[in-house]
Amino acid sequence: MYEIYGIVNGKRVSSKDLEEQIQAAVKNGRRELKIIADGQHGIGGRLWPTPEDKKLIVEGTSGQRLGSMGMMGTEILVKGSCSDDVGWLNCGARITVLGDVTNGAHNAGAQGLLYVQGSGGARCDTMTKFNPRFAPLQSWYFRDVGDSFAEFKAGGIAVVCGVNPRHPDNILGYRPCVGMVGGTIYFRGPVTGQSEKDCRIEELTDNDWQWLLENMPPYLEAIERTSYYDELTADRTAWRKIVALTPTERNDMAGGRLPMAQFREETWEAGVGKGGIVGELLPVEERTIIPYIAYGEERRFYPRWDNDKKTAPCAYNCPTDIPTQTRTRLLREGRLEEMLELVLNYSPLPATVCGKVCPNPCMDACSRGVFLREPVEIGYLGSLSQAVPAPAKAAPRPEKVAVIGGGPAGLAAAWKLALEGFGVKLFEREPELGGKIYQCIPEERLPRDILKAELDRFRALGIEVETGTEIDRQKFTELQQEYDAVVLASGAHAPRMIPFPGYEDVIPGITFLKALNNRQPISMENKKVVIIGAGNVGMDIAVEAYNLGARSVIAVDIQAPASFGKEQQMAAARGTRILYPKFTDRYVKQEGKIYFKDGSFLEADAVLISIGESPELGYLPDEVARERGYLSIDDRGRTNVEKLYAVGDVTAPGLITHALGAGRRAAEALLADLDDTAPPDYSAPMVDYNRIKAEYYDRDCQKAPEDGDTEALRCLSCGTCRDCATCEEACFRRAISRVETADGGYEYVVDESQCIGCGFCEAVCPCGIWTMYPAPE
Amino acid sequence: MESKERLDVNGQLTLKELPYIISWDAAKCTRCGQCTAVCPQKAIEPAVFVQRLVTSDGSLPLPQTVRQVGHGIRQVTDIERYCVGCGVCSQVCPNDAIFPEYNEAHKFAFHKNQKGVPYKRGGRRNSTEISTLDQLKFTRISMLTDPALDAGRHEFHIRTLLGRNLDPEAMPIIVKDDTLGLDETVFIPPVREIFPIRIGGMSFGALSPHMWEGLAMGVAYLNEVENIPVVMCTGEGGMPPRLLRSRFLKYFILQIASGYFGWDEIIHAIPEMQEDPAAIEIKYGQGAKPGDGGLLMAFKVLDLIAKVRGVPTKVDLASPPTHQTKYSIEEAVAKMITSMSMAFGFRVPVYPKISGTKTATAVLNNLARNPFAAALTIDGEDGGTGAAYNVSVDKMGHPIASNLRDCYLNLVKIGKQNVLPLFAAGGVGKTGSLAANAAAMIMLGASGVDCGKYIMQAAAGCLGDERNRCNLCNVGRCPRGITTQNPLLYRRLDPDKVAERVVDVFKAADTELKKIFAPMGRSTQLPIGMSDGLSVSNRDIAERLDISYAC
Repeated sequence: MYEIYGIVNGKRVSSKDLEEQIQAAVKNGRRELKIIADGQHGIGGRLWPTPEDKKLIVEGTSGQRLGSMGMMGTEILVKGSCSDDVGWLNCGARITVLGDVTNGAHNAGAQGLLYVQGSGGARCDTMTKFNPRFAPLQSWYFRDVGDSFAEFKAGGIAVVCGVNPRHPDNILGYRPCVGMVGGTIYFRGPVTGQSEKDCRIEELTDNDWQWLLENMPPYLEAIERTSYYDELTADRTAWRKIVALTPTERNDMAGGRLPMAQFREETWEAGVGKGGIVGELLPVEERTIIPYIAYGEERRFYPRWDNDKKTAPCAYNCPTDIPTQTRTRLLREGRLEEMLELVLNYSPLPATVCGKVCPNPCMDACSRGVFLREPVEIGYLGSLSQAVPAPAKAAPRPEKVAVIGGGPAGLAAAWKLALEGFGVKLFEREPELGGKIYQCIPEERLPRDILKAELDRFRALGIEVETGTEIDRQKFTELQQEYDAVVLASGAHAPRMIPFPGYEDVIPGITFLKALNNRQPISMENKKVVIIGAGNVGMDIAVEAYNLGARSVIAVDIQAPASFGKEQQMAAARGTRILYPKFTDRYVKQEGKIYFKDGSFLEADAVLISIGESPELGYLPDEVARERGYLSIDDRGRTNVEKLYAVGDVTAPGLITHALGAGRRAAEALLADLDDTAPPDYSAPMVDYNRIKAEYYDRDCQKAPEDGDTEALRCLSCGTCRDCATCEEACFRRAISRVETADGGYEYVVDESQCIGCGFCEAVCPCGIWTMYPAPE
Repeated sequence: MESKERLDVNGQLTLKELPYIISWDAAKCTRCGQCTAVCPQKAIEPAVFVQRLVTSDGSLPLPQTVRQVGHGIRQVTDIERYCVGCGVCSQVCPNDAIFPEYNEAHKFAFHKNQKGVPYKRGGRRNSTEISTLDQLKFTRISMLTDPALDAGRHEFHIRTLLGRNLDPEAMPIIVKDDTLGLDETVFIPPVREIFPIRIGGMSFGALSPHMWEGLAMGVAYLNEVENIPVVMCTGEGGMPPRLLRSRFLKYFILQIASGYFGWDEIIHAIPEMQEDPAAIEIKYGQGAKPGDGGLLMAFKVLDLIAKVRGVPTKVDLASPPTHQTKYSIEEAVAKMITSMSMAFGFRVPVYPKISGTKTATAVLNNLARNPFAAALTIDGEDGGTGAAYNVSVDKMGHPIASNLRDCYLNLVKIGKQNVLPLFAAGGVGKTGSLAANAAAMIMLGASGVDCGKYIMQAAAGCLGDERNRCNLCNVGRCPRGITTQNPLLYRRLDPDKVAERVVDVFKAADTELKKIFAPMGRSTQLPIGMSDGLSVSNRDIAERLDISYAC
């Protein structure tokens, strides 16, 4: 046996020189070497394969990394204990250590054998590999191993026999197998603290046991402990093995050892109570999980078919409350007669007022006008009812009502009261009914036959009319006693005057108009006319002054003129000029001049004044409350005196349509007061214009308003369902359907179980019927 | 002034004024209505569109009009219904036909003060600048100079101490019968060993019951299954009575603030408590909105909230910006700390929480002298809030890094750095780097940090960001169900899933902290104040924080 010495002549041979001597010896054909070492590094490694095996016996003090990078065909026998990292990166050497190995034995080993007669130090068998080209590495430890065993072990087989261990309570040391991903560790004895997130302990299989039985004898022989064979193989159950978790198992572990649902049930709710921390405070149905897209009671918003719940702009802006949207619906449904009659429940004079003299605020408000700049011809719809007979009267009532004043307010009140079955008597001071409609509106704007036809229908209802009767205090008191209720509708007929010097020579406008309508006109022939007050009555006067031969007409006002519409257009067409601001200073009739406070003047052969009229209230007892010259009433037309109602200009100045509405509402209130019921409610808000979808409609340039049916189709039907079924079609989930109702009508209903509350029905509805509401809290 | 004509768009905003503009693809849209059903703002609505085309066939002008009316989705420009960019529309859209796009050039701030009411919101400071915390780097890597540790292999003890630590010489250690013992006649302040990242105070009321329970359950799981002793602060608003009386109370810090909500209920419960709470936090200020108080609006005070807080339903619950009977540092802090210590028999750490402020060191010096003061929490400007004036959120407050650093160095100066722990909050995890921000704060001198926004985003998918996305926390319409008392919204949130994510977050942060501390050679003791491990590539920050400059 060729011997190589680690100390020569008392001098230590360097690791480099020793290595070179070994390599040279092998190159020179030496196959059995004895190394008497003195701590040299890496003894026995890197002996490249030769046809014959090589055997090294190491005596003395082996250094670190003995057998490192050892090759197949190399056998190393260490006679004694061994330093760190024995078999480091072993590539096939068979290493036997007849003693202990210190730290890091077989670290990064890939192939080969390590037989240890004693114990292993810390970090043995760490980072061991398995290369499928070769047989797996084996590491055998007879006693036990130190801490951090088999960290990051990726392959190979380790066997720890557990004979006479230094640490009998744990033969694999502190925290073994951290990061272990492969290989097998057979061990015999107690083990604690292995890394459970990387490995698990299993019982041996038959194959495992067979492998141990086969591989045990050569090991025991090598380490000179054959006598232990029986003891080590006596009891298979004394052995167990550690294997790495599969990547899948490791991922599962990382997700949590315990499912949260199980933790909730077994731990959390056991601690705080069933249902969790608010289990006793919140009903369980308020705790379940719901989807973002929810149905039924879990929706945040839900739609409602709010048909006729809001007022169309036309009706909302009509002081007489005429529901045109209902009239057009009746027309669309082919119910012409009902449509024509409907308006008579609101007004006795639809052709006169709606059709002729009313400025039609309904049409100003009409959505079609707003969006398409061509409103429904609502005035024309009123004209259509000129020749329609009065609606049927209600059953006669015992009460009698006196109405004082035959103007629009009085007519409307008397008409409605008569329709409700009251006995009504109407008193009018003038010879003719109609009040200012008759007295002050030029024939040019209101042909007399229209008014006559409607007044005839009025009288035909059976209302007793007494014209030419002046009511004084005594007569009034008698009426109060004689009748169950009295409605005051005596209007405002006292012209307002301004007491500037010369005002005595000014003609009140109302006097001028009344004289004209009584066929006794005041001549304006060739006169320069100045009208103080440029409102609509002023404009009527201007037109009539021209008709009566005036050379020129100038209307002055202290502010921007209040006149508008047809009146102003007709006056302007005749040449009327309007000047403002002009504050009259004096009128000097002799000079034919009217002077203003700004120093200017106008030539004026005639000066008329039209700045309004005041009620004449002398016939009423003082106890009837007034304010600023008008009678005070509440929102139902009641004065402070019981069963005494007041309507129209006697309560406040207004349009004829205001007077009509006030008259009818007072009649309704009177009825409700007597019956102790609630009068009709007109407080529904107006449909928001933005809810009306005008996009569906095109502007029809060739519209011919002579056909009521056309108007019915042109109407946008604000707030009233036009039964177009757009909602039904647009609903993605088909949650909306149309159903017939018991009364022959229809409604659209929602299947709550199909509706998600998206709001499409609301958005697509042309009429603004569908409305989304937030879920109740 | 009233107009003579009906107006169209007069006075209305254009879409370009709004912070988010909805992109809607008519060709992809099925008009199923899911987007409009979920939009929390009603910022989108179904609409009717008309299209009109005049065609002419042949070689002569023979015009023909094709007119078509259809339905689709429109964004509204009403400033009260502005799109907040939450993106829930795109989440429920089956065809990817709709999503909000951020509009860089928006002019939101010019308009969001209608009726003279300044813009109020929830969320965080709208600032996309890189925070100081995110600029700090860990540069002292153990490269053979000292033992490098392996985060995966070594054992770590990521724990911190919440409570006042007596100086070693002050510890009343005595030898009795040949063994070491403590002189029990001497007061030893209570100390808790906890995970250095806490869940900061978010009240039961500001959060939905599902969110709160999810957080609480996750915390319990972390303690009892994962062995990560995370504690959570209740925020001001009391605690559900069942939890108060459960053994889990020890994982919670009870907060008392200027509204004192829920505290009579807590005091009534003390005799029935199975465990002491982890600590008591006295809230003096909130980093996100210094000087702005809290208000739980009446509509949120439903039966449940009312019972927990011990108030009637449907009343506004105001927490003023200041406590009403506290007039100076000495008086205020001592009074509150003594009262709260006494409430729990001096067994529970009691500490104040203040907004980040230049005056923090004054408070700190006072606490250093108070034997019952357990810690100080400083909440920096990047904290979050459920509701505040925009101006308070955006413009008020002190950045946490230098504020905490000043306080720590002040403790070092007076030799109390190991006595009184500092906790830092406000912007920890602002951009998702929870563990890195926490580690940086610790190395600047914090014993631990609080996180709130991070946990809401990570555990419950809160949609808010620094571009004012969503931030509807204050109006009760949280699309995720986090900050709402509306069952139809909070029932979208599954407490179990929240809890699972809380566990995920802390397990991950625990690993990341190891990944930071291991290469720096720390495993069993937090590197509190180990500022030589930090660097920054900004000289001004380096100088201000007294750390090294590296580039």
